[in-house]
Amino acid sequence: MRVESPRHLAELQQAFHAREIGFAKKLHICCGPGCLASGAADIVSKFKALLKKRHLTDFSLEAIKETGCHGLCEQGPLVVIEPDGIFYTKVKPKHVETIIDSTLERNEVISELLYREPHSQRCVEHYRDIDFYARQHRIALRHLGRISQYDIRDYLAQGGYSALAKALTTMTPDQIVSEVTTSGLRGRGGAGFPTGRKWATCRNAEEQPHYVICNGDEGDPGAFMDRAIMEGDPHSVLEGMIICAFAVGSAQGYIYVREEYPLAVQNLQLAIDQASDYGLLGDNILGSDFSFSIKISRGGGAFVCGESSALMKSVAGDVGEPRAKYVRSVLKGLFDRPTVLNNVETFANVPVIINQGGERFAELGMKKSTGTKAFSLVGKVRNTGLIEVPMGTTLRQIIYDIGGGILNDRPFKAVQTGGPSGGCLPESKLDLPVDFNTLTEAGSMMGSGGMIVVDDRTCVVDLAKYFLAFLLDESCGKCTPCREGLYQLHRLATKISDGEATEPDLDKMEQLSHMVIIGSLCGLGKSGPNPFLSTVQYFRDEYLAHIREKRCPAGVCRALIRYDVIAEKCDGCLACISACAVHAITGKKGQVHAIDQELCDKCGACHAVCTRHAIEVT
Amino acid sequence: MVHLTLNGKIVQAREGEVLLSVIRREGISIPATCHHESVEAFGACRLCTVEITKKEWNGWKDYVTSCLYPVQNDLIVDTHSPAVVELRRTLIDLQLARCPNSPEIRQMAEEYGITTTSYEERPDGDNCILCGLCTRICDRMGFAAISTVGRGYGRRVAPPLDEPPPDCVGCLACALNCPTKVIPYVDKGTTRVIWTKQFELMTCTGCGRTTITRDFAKSLGESRQISLQYFEKCDDCHRRELSQTMTRIVSWQREEKP
Amino acid sequence: MTSQFIVIPDLCTGCLTCELACSFAHPVEGKPGRTRIVVYTTPVKELWIPVVCLQCDDPACVRSCLVDALRRNPATGAIELHQDKCVKCLACVAACPFGCSLLDGRHNLIVKCDLCSGDPVCAHFCPTKALSFRPFDTGLLKATA
Repeated sequence: MRVESPRHLAELQQAFHAREIGFAKKLHICCGPGCLASGAADIVSKFKALLKKRHLTDFSLEAIKETGCHGLCEQGPLVVIEPDGIFYTKVKPKHVETIIDSTLERNEVISELLYREPHSQRCVEHYRDIDFYARQHRIALRHLGRISQYDIRDYLAQGGYSALAKALTTMTPDQIVSEVTTSGLRGRGGAGFPTGRKWATCRNAEEQPHYVICNGDEGDPGAFMDRAIMEGDPHSVLEGMIICAFAVGSAQGYIYVREEYPLAVQNLQLAIDQASDYGLLGDNILGSDFSFSIKISRGGGAFVCGESSALMKSVAGDVGEPRAKYVRSVLKGLFDRPTVLNNVETFANVPVIINQGGERFAELGMKKSTGTKAFSLVGKVRNTGLIEVPMGTTLRQIIYDIGGGILNDRPFKAVQTGGPSGGCLPESKLDLPVDFNTLTEAGSMMGSGGMIVVDDRTCVVDLAKYFLAFLLDESCGKCTPCREGLYQLHRLATKISDGEATEPDLDKMEQLSHMVIIGSLCGLGKSGPNPFLSTVQYFRDEYLAHIREKRCPAGVCRALIRYDVIAEKCDGCLACISACAVHAITGKKGQVHAIDQELCDKCGACHAVCTRHAIEVT
Repeated sequence: MVHLTLNGKIVQAREGEVLLSVIRREGISIPATCHHESVEAFGACRLCTVEITKKEWNGWKDYVTSCLYPVQNDLIVDTHSPAVVELRRTLIDLQLARCPNSPEIRQMAEEYGITTTSYEERPDGDNCILCGLCTRICDRMGFAAISTVGRGYGRRVAPPLDEPPPDCVGCLACALNCPTKVIPYVDKGTTRVIWTKQFELMTCTGCGRTTITRDFAKSLGESRQISLQYFEKCDDCHRRELSQTMTRIVSWQREEKP
Repeated sequence: MTSQFIVIPDLCTGCLTCELACSFAHPVEGKPGRTRIVVYTTPVKELWIPVVCLQCDDPACVRSCLVDALRRNPATGAIELHQDKCVKCLACVAACPFGCSLLDGRHNLIVKCDLCSGDPVCAHFCPTKALSFRPFDTGLLKATA
């Protein structure tokens, strides 16, 4: 069925909204990346099978919604009963029948499945009352967890595509660009380029045709914001792209999705097909004479293809290698034509800006970094998951108030932001506001939203080595400083980690880092040394301990640690002996075990399995 | 006309020109190993990097490869600032680590005061500096027989699947333009071997000298409509034949007027 | 292009001054380059033939060059080889039916007559005017485009 006018759209929205309201109860089963990995699909099928058999009064099978990422991934699989917002955590298939009996039929809450506050152990019934949710402000993630990720009707029921109708029928392209400029929206992929300015440049570019591309490459390890949006609320991305296309004068768009996100491709394609059926995408959108199509372009498994010029080469079918961008890709982009490339999260913000106006959007956040930002908060925090907060929220608020503090109450060491292009910030910087500029001035960067919290058991040398190894693998290899420089930096970091480095080696790494930064062709190389430079800036003592004392304070670097049995605590349970792959541990049942240091390869398996805390690492 | 300052001197440049062209015109020598006028600038070796700034940048400097950066009015360019020289030195040091046995790299390193690399040498390193000239020139000639394969530190130049490349015609453009002479080829008798592929060399029907490969000649015949006949004699014999033809003509002319 | 290079073999005395002039007028790294004009002795008494690039209307060399290193200079009419573009594949050397694209083996370059950018030194030094660079005379020769 094609929507032929804004009025027709409004009618449909009302009808679908009424349908939603008409459900007495709704079952929102989180099918975000984390919950799916923990078995959400089984929970979905069990609910569907049982409810089909049971024929509950007042509960329609259509009220079962497979939603996008609800956010609190640490507690998944998540099942939410709306409209009450009853929040069940760590749900297993065996709980399904009980949930149907107790909560759906008898309105009883199952306390064993509720979220428990970490210190008080108090149960919280409704997710809105959990700090993790209460302190967020979700704009890009507004629909995640609240609508079916497979059904356009849910998106329409929430007022979806109103922004498109408003833009197409009541605004001129210049007005749209102006609204986006007023909003202060900056690229959410990490670079933070003013979106309005990018659109304006493309709009005014003479060469035709113009293209619109959505960057869904999301290569930073630990980042899954874009994945969650592409899978959980694909229409928000489409709507943003269509509005952009109308503003800059484009008829063809692409969504570039990294090869490792097949579900995102699936959900996006489904959304594209549905939107096309409704006449909201394709020829004569909403009955106007504006036409715009979107194709999905899949990556080949390369982090470097998140870089704009490499991405465009990849879309064109060439090997994804960046080029020097002295002539910006907004003027010479895909097929050498003017192209707007924006991140998934950037596009997801656009419908909100059009609907409420740029000024209103700019009231949130900070003056030079307006709006909100989505983060994937991972690492040694209690509440790992997907969050969104206004710009200007401090690191401390994110990590402690929303993140629930450090796991097991271990001491906080650092937070790594911005992925391989970013850096580590220590406790002294926790009160810095998160935005485009402040973290960069401190030696890190906000980046695309990956936020990794580490405690005292993470070695910064090991962390720097990890990121260098990642970049080494992902570098395209075209330019000398990145290809050879990162390799040498990694070799030197390994020397430090192995306890074989000297202090001149550390100085050499710093000098080489600065050369790699000024010499590299693209952002991968230019920002590659950042994790190393920021850890050396704030944790130089830890590097020096490795170098001068051949000691790894965090107990991580294998060449510098040893595992020993604490005789007083060992009761001879044999667990570590079974766990040791190289048979380095000896001892009889009931007798104190011993680790042969010659054979031990420091894998840490014994430490992990020992329930008596009888293995120590020094 | 564009005006910019180059190493303190105000120079003129054409709109759309790149900095390297201006730099060379002014007789300033900077290395640019991945650059060749027959192919588009690549920006891979980074040796031609220069320091640029403008008055309104308030002291902020940028580092760009002159082979690709278009000239701009009021640009201030320094080809040998301390940072640029340090960058070049570091790049050469890194290349030396990559190709410790290359005479050309060692010579360039010596000019920058480096005899051995201060980094870890690549084990079993060949002399390829990955400038990409061989693959880019081969593409430009229209053959595209070889390309770079792999990514990052493992990147290398190779024919498809490391087999004799089907599209190679044995023109030697790759080997002859390699700055470090990495690509081997052997001409023996009427056979040429390069990239493990064998080629027959055209033999001059006049004197027996070999010229280009038959595959190259045939490809020129097809793509440029030059008859294979042109390639049956060498240039020496072609010249001599022209002189013989002219001899006949002039002799007749002389006979006509006593 | 207003002039054309003319060879009148009848006037040639085989003195080879043209070869010397050409060689010295095209030095490579300070040393004389290979001459682009070659004078042939003939079996006929007092007849020598200077062979030099004919600057053809439809040059085989230009056709054979896959990197566009050979181009006509509109002012002089000469087909010029741009050394910085040349990849030394020898296609032009093989293709020219008159053998006027030559390999300078000593300097590893390909060379051809460029009419010395409009004032050919060989003609300048030729004592008998067997070689000359003259404005078009439609009575004697056809003008080329």
